[in-house]
Amino acid sequence: MLFGARFCQGMRAAVPILIAFVPSSIAWGIAAQAHGLTLHEILLMSALVYSGPAQFAVLAPLAEGKSALQVLIAGFLMNLRFLPMSMTLAPFFRGVKRLPLALASHVVSASSFIVPYLQFEKERESNSTEVAALDGHGNLAFFVGVGASSFLVWTAGTGVGYGVALGFPPGFEEALKFILPGYFAGLLVVEMRSRAMALVCLASLIAAVPGALLSPGWGWLISAILTALLGWGWETRR
Amino acid sequence: MTRSEIIVIMGLMAFAVRALPQLFFVGRKFPPAWDRLLRYLSYAFICSIVSITLFMSGARFEAGAAPRRGLALAAAIFVAHKTKSAVTGMIVGALLVLVASRIR
Repeated sequence: MLFGARFCQGMRAAVPILIAFVPSSIAWGIAAQAHGLTLHEILLMSALVYSGPAQFAVLAPLAEGKSALQVLIAGFLMNLRFLPMSMTLAPFFRGVKRLPLALASHVVSASSFIVPYLQFEKERESNSTEVAALDGHGNLAFFVGVGASSFLVWTAGTGVGYGVALGFPPGFEEALKFILPGYFAGLLVVEMRSRAMALVCLASLIAAVPGALLSPGWGWLISAILTALLGWGWETRR
Repeated sequence: MTRSEIIVIMGLMAFAVRALPQLFFVGRKFPPAWDRLLRYLSYAFICSIVSITLFMSGARFEAGAAPRRGLALAAAIFVAHKTKSAVTGMIVGALLVLVASRIR
């Protein structure tokens, strides 16, 4: 059932995600190599954490030997966004046993959430199906088709990035250091939805350096939390 | 704690955040306000990290490199916005910062 038609349908639906994952995973692999991570650590992190933003967030503190607590908190806060995604998908997997559900949840990511969610909603509307009557196993197969193929491309891509970075001649450190922050900044701009979000981003960008100068370990983390809370409070009050 | 151990713990924490709602919160809805807050937090974190990755070296502000990296970041953002392509923005910014570091 899992590798049946619905799984293949999920894999086909994942093609745009896979295309987007190739440059970002290679960029992360290059940056991780430039920060001194080994191939084993790069592949381990991509396979276990499987989250571009969280992996990006912990790269510098991990490479600089900052406290484990700081690295874990930064990663955890970045990954909290998976909570609502996972919760939103859950009703579509009705009737599936807990073990396959838990295993499949490892491949939840922003992209592998959006594609199946939109597909399930579309199918539900076109069939006028109630949530209670959904084909949970079929939906899970579709989700795994999207998620597993994205996961494989991401993990392999970071390994390729490590190899690519090794091939760069000396003198390219500046460009290598720029690749990942430049990519993420561009990604945010492309996905930016509201003016409040743009202000939060700009304020975080500016406040991080004074924050890090005041408290090298935690300053940037605290300034980001404060800026996000201020932006959220402002938008909620409007 | 070694880097590999930190990565494993981070992976377990990420797994918990992904798996727990599937196992225990089926049918419950996440309040939209909290959903928005988590999105704000993610964006603010990414921007803070962009900033410290480009402008800080440990606890030190990299005053010498900051202008060219700031310029390259602005160029990357501008190009990404105009072309709607983060990859194009990244390539332009990386080339700009490379050229600027050679000219110096």
